[in-house]
Amino acid sequence: MKKLVSAPALFAAAGVLLVTGLLLAFLYSPMDASTMGYSQKIFYYHAPIAETALLAFGISFVAAILYLRSQNDKWDRLGVVSIRLGLVFSILVMATGMIWGKAAWGTWWDWEPRLTTFLLVCFLYTAYFVLRSVVDEEQRRATFAAVFAIIAFIDVPITFFATRFLPAGMHPTVITSSGTGMPGSMFVSFFISMIGMTLLLVALIRRDLGIEELRDRVADLKHSIGG
Amino acid sequence: MTGWRQFMAILRKDLIRELRTREMIISMILFVLLAMVIFHYAFGVKEDVDLTYFTGGMLWVTFIFAMLLGLNRSFAQEQDERCLDGLLLCPVDRVTIFFAKTAGNLIFLLIIQVVAVPVFTLFFVHRGYGSDIVLFVVVLLLADVGICALGTLLATISMNTRSRDLLLPIIFLPLIVPLLIAATAATTTIFATGASFGVLGTRLLFLLGFDAVFMVAAYGTYDFAIGE
Repeated sequence: MKKLVSAPALFAAAGVLLVTGLLLAFLYSPMDASTMGYSQKIFYYHAPIAETALLAFGISFVAAILYLRSQNDKWDRLGVVSIRLGLVFSILVMATGMIWGKAAWGTWWDWEPRLTTFLLVCFLYTAYFVLRSVVDEEQRRATFAAVFAIIAFIDVPITFFATRFLPAGMHPTVITSSGTGMPGSMFVSFFISMIGMTLLLVALIRRDLGIEELRDRVADLKHSIGG
Repeated sequence: MTGWRQFMAILRKDLIRELRTREMIISMILFVLLAMVIFHYAFGVKEDVDLTYFTGGMLWVTFIFAMLLGLNRSFAQEQDERCLDGLLLCPVDRVTIFFAKTAGNLIFLLIIQVVAVPVFTLFFVHRGYGSDIVLFVVVLLLADVGICALGTLLATISMNTRSRDLLLPIIFLPLIVPLLIAATAATTTIFATGASFGVLGTRLLFLLGFDAVFMVAAYGTYDFAIGE
């Protein structure tokens, strides 16, 4: 995979797609029928960011299982990197969600199932880093982190389901099992933004993995010279 | 069969140790009762205020925090006396240790609840819920199993870290929130208006699903959590 596309090319492709998606959202997609007007355009970033965040946590889940099976450090690195990025994206989901909420419903915060789920997800994956910080031995740290990453990812859909027990929220349901609920011109912009955001995640994961690998090698070298 | 005997032996050990010292149960009961007094003053903002719609939340928040005390204690003792090393040296399946520990914690939590629920009802619940008692016990049991299973798994991890009891609430609370939401909603409905199995169906199924999912997850990961 490393040979297939160079890192700058991946970032560039993500950038081009994200900008194209945004331009299309403003110039090509129809204006929202509700009173939101241009504020609704944040949807074209908000939803892709949310899906990318969940994708990052999904990657960490798979990496955790692979780590427990193989005890290979590269899966632990992938776990850390994807959770860190997933957390950044989750915070962005909440930020864009709150901006949208203020524009659409007139309030910065609403205890709405999806927003609440992402808030809890942020706490959950922050705890992952707290857990990592209090285990000194490397292998043990990676093992505990993997166990926690598995449990945490299982908890995400459960949390989302549970928040539905609260009184119904105001969040629009755009994508359901029966279709996307979007006209074609909306879907094109949305889809391009989504691919762009996913590529951005892949590019960031790749870059961060390189950094983590270097960090590990530096630590090993320091160790070998008795530092 | 040997698995069952090992399970009973570990459970018996935990129960005997606790019944001899009683330090964990007594602190948990005191904590729960004190929390109720605090709740009364925290929420009784004016005379004759109706707390009915807070009762489910008050009850489960108390139990979860009490359980945090208990979970920390149950493993701290194992480590202080290096009991756990002995346990790990025995030819016992790690998962058996998990189930025995979970069962022990469940029994302690149930003992707390046998004392706390009548007092709580006396203090805060103004409506008789005798006809819904079976339903209430089902909610209680389903939620307890989830709390104890997940709690035992995470307490095992946290006791093996540098910060021990400081870490447990941070990793346990965000994971237990879904169960708390369902249990609170079900309990409040029972206390406030009364309910039937039909009305609470989704919540009960959810609690059951939560228990099953985390039991399986713990079964799959406990070997790694307890370490070498």
